[in-house]
Amino acid sequence: MSAGPGVARWRLAALVAVGVTALLAVAQTPLARAHYERALAERSAVSTAAYLALVTPPGRSGSGYDLPQLFIRSRALEALPGFRARVEVYHGTAPLVHATGDLLASETLDGLRRQPAVRWTGNGALAPLFDRDGWHVVGAVAAQADLPEGPRAAWVAGVLVFALVAGGLAAQAVGASPDATRAAIRRYAAAAALLGLVAAADVWAAARDSSDQWLGDTRLLLQEAARLLPAARSAPSLAVIAPDAEVVAGDSGGPAPERREVAGLPRASVAVRLAPGHWAELRTAPAEVGALGRLALAAALALLGPLGVTGAAWGARASAAPRHLRETLAGWGFLLPSALPLAVFTGAPLVFALYLSLHRWSVTEPVHPFVGLANYARLVRDPLVGRSLANAALYVLYVPVSLVLALAVALRLNRQAWGARALRTAFVLPYMASGVAIALVWQALYRPDGGLINTAVAAAHLSPLDWLGDPRTALGALMIVGAWVHLGYQMLVYLVGLQGIPRAYLDAARVDGANAWQRFRRITLPLLRPVTRFLLVTGIVGAFQVFTAIFVLTGGGPSHTTDVVTYRIYQTAWEYGQFGVTSALALVVCLVLGAAAWAEFRLLGRRGADA
Amino acid sequence: MAAVTLRRITKRYDPGAKPALNDLSLEVAAGELLVLLGPSGSGKTTLLRCIAGLEEPDAGTILIGEREVTHLPPGVRDVAMVFQQYALYPHLSVRANIAFGLEVRRVPAPEIERRVGEAAARLGLGALLERRPAELSGGERQRVALGRAVVRQPQAFLLDEPLAALDAPRRSELRTELVALQRALGATMLYVTQDQVEAMTLGQRIAVLDEGRVRQVGTPAEVYGRPADVFVARFVGNPGMNVLKGRGRGAGQKSSVVDCGGLVVPATLESYEGEIHLGVRPEHVGLGAADHGVGTLEVRAVEPLGPDTLVRLDVGGQTLVARVPGIPPLRPGDQVGVNLDRQHLHLFDAAGERLA
Repeated sequence: MSAGPGVARWRLAALVAVGVTALLAVAQTPLARAHYERALAERSAVSTAAYLALVTPPGRSGSGYDLPQLFIRSRALEALPGFRARVEVYHGTAPLVHATGDLLASETLDGLRRQPAVRWTGNGALAPLFDRDGWHVVGAVAAQADLPEGPRAAWVAGVLVFALVAGGLAAQAVGASPDATRAAIRRYAAAAALLGLVAAADVWAAARDSSDQWLGDTRLLLQEAARLLPAARSAPSLAVIAPDAEVVAGDSGGPAPERREVAGLPRASVAVRLAPGHWAELRTAPAEVGALGRLALAAALALLGPLGVTGAAWGARASAAPRHLRETLAGWGFLLPSALPLAVFTGAPLVFALYLSLHRWSVTEPVHPFVGLANYARLVRDPLVGRSLANAALYVLYVPVSLVLALAVALRLNRQAWGARALRTAFVLPYMASGVAIALVWQALYRPDGGLINTAVAAAHLSPLDWLGDPRTALGALMIVGAWVHLGYQMLVYLVGLQGIPRAYLDAARVDGANAWQRFRRITLPLLRPVTRFLLVTGIVGAFQVFTAIFVLTGGGPSHTTDVVTYRIYQTAWEYGQFGVTSALALVVCLVLGAAAWAEFRLLGRRGADA
Repeated sequence: MAAVTLRRITKRYDPGAKPALNDLSLEVAAGELLVLLGPSGSGKTTLLRCIAGLEEPDAGTILIGEREVTHLPPGVRDVAMVFQQYALYPHLSVRANIAFGLEVRRVPAPEIERRVGEAAARLGLGALLERRPAELSGGERQRVALGRAVVRQPQAFLLDEPLAALDAPRRSELRTELVALQRALGATMLYVTQDQVEAMTLGQRIAVLDEGRVRQVGTPAEVYGRPADVFVARFVGNPGMNVLKGRGRGAGQKSSVVDCGGLVVPATLESYEGEIHLGVRPEHVGLGAADHGVGTLEVRAVEPLGPDTLVRLDVGGQTLVARVPGIPPLRPGDQVGVNLDRQHLHLFDAAGERLA
């Protein structure tokens, strides 16, 4: 294919995509490093302020500090071997560490007084320094952190060149033969993936370094505090220096932080020597575990380039046939309004549920560690889960029964009988009413004393039952409610189906000598098979998801006889707060229903293919 | 095979409405193919459905053979019906469609097998037996519908515009097959159509229906050559007969004429005078030079058909169509002399009934 002006435009677009993607991938690393540096600086400022508050003795009057001592302690931070944060301590607005440095702006100090919280000043974090009572803000601690570039920067540069070359070649291949284009794009995708991987590794390293550095600095602060205050050597009293972290009694160890799992959660920890033979362990959540989202973003951004080049290649091919291009674009345009909500409100939650199901995700825990299939294993072990699935499977059995009733009613109403229209409306009404309202009506009907049903039972000289409270009848009572609610809708759909059967078929069968039963059995019923299939699949899926009636009427009881799977999902999530397990259960239900629907379609679909 | 007799059948769908069938009587002999011909809404299909038992007449009697079936359900009447849209059961194979009527009657399986085989062989459906109706062409579907009727060996066949949904070549092909089938089976058939060409080519006898009444029953030659009234005259033939309004003068005299305004036609009037309808088929209208023949008329339109040409002429506001051989050199506006074949004039009274 010769390179016309159209193709040149598409090539340029592809080149732009390649360049932008490379830029985005490479920019990831400094952006992420800045993010972690800032987080580290904020933590360092807070820790340092807490350290100073702990170790500085009080002044002669009131709750303030002994200023010379504060001065000495602040200056000593500079000399602390291995302390990496660059800090400045202000007493009032006066700098103590670098006494000749700039004063703290008084508005800034006033701001800290009004709202005593850590803030970012642009090149460092500023934490308030409280008096010894922890009440007044008497100064501030500024901290700056630098994370090392690391040896990966060279790697990034190398891979970047590689990806740019591959991308350039791919862009050059736009408009060439489809095979050549595809091969070039494939090579570029590999290079871009590598770039994404290296960028992600850099982000990951920055996160890890930020945790390590904080652990190292805080370790030094803890040791220094233990040395200065031999009386306060117990771990709990030192823990104020490390908020958002744990200080517990521990074993001896080196200064290097390590990663290990504590009670199922990943932790970064370092040994702290408080006194000879007296060790503690400083633990915090490792930042790199929380960086998964950034890692995914880094990898995904890298793949934008190959996608862009693919799009450009398609565009170049399609612009050779402009009509095709226009129609495809128009087609996607029409699809977008319905596809977008589907993707956002169905696809995305599904993917998120899959993510959740592989993590321990509890509302009470700050971190959400990856746990693999542990949530699924819990489902298998939990007897209530099996019970709720069995209950749901049992509950679903009302659907075929109500379908038979619905078909019977529809056959009756299909004749143009007097009052058919009013009856039709009456049957559909429950389907349109609020689920809670219906549940409340049935609650009144089922009431053990004075309920309409038991009144009737008593009138028939039978012993009344506690319909919803008796384990033997509770599920059955709920199935009756379900059937009653859905009967009208099913009847209506059957009615439409019946009216769609040409009269000539039934006339022909009558002339052929078929009686009413034979006409129903051999003509009407087979021709309604698609309707039945639709109602059965949607009915079973709907019944499996029953919630409102159970929530209102039984709350899963008595003794879990009406504890169906959606109720279990609800309880696991909102009462136990275990969203990981909940998501695993929800996905299992999704799979079960999908398989059931597929099987039903296969089973019923065979013979009614063209009916 | 049995005769079908209808006596004074009346059928109304709505109490106030015009009757779909109005005091209608008709006899179909055993083994006869009778065509019911009429425009849409004339009651043909209602009549067929009454015979089948799908509708019940409000009054009158229906006999199949010697048996009165007026109020019997369709299944016991022993008639077979072929519907316009075939009405093949879409979920059943061709074989099951044909066998349906036998199965619901609990005919033993081996006999069903044999009879379905026979019917399929007769209609050339052998290779299609396992297919579904959706996989068949229109002509094949119609054959299956016929097979479903034939296999039952009924007392009478009722066919409701069975070829209307087919294209023209298929239609004439199947028509020929249908006649052969009817002869071979010696079947009594009532065949509904609104296509008068089909009626002419098929029927041993044609019953022309209009507004729920039988206007005329007769052989194609009778219906075409001696229409009983103006409706039949106009409806049968393509184009139909010219019917001009006029007045008769000089009844009983040799010089009796019908005066149609622009045309005064000598015609033998026995006794009737006054308002009269003069009928003449287009092929019996001759054209010549102006001022020759019974009158001179202006040409309105010329429609060449190939072997002959239709020339539309103006008779004082009425239209007279002439069918002349070849393509004459005429143009609209030309004046031509007109001659009517006196042997083939038809006279109807004011009410439209045939005179003599």
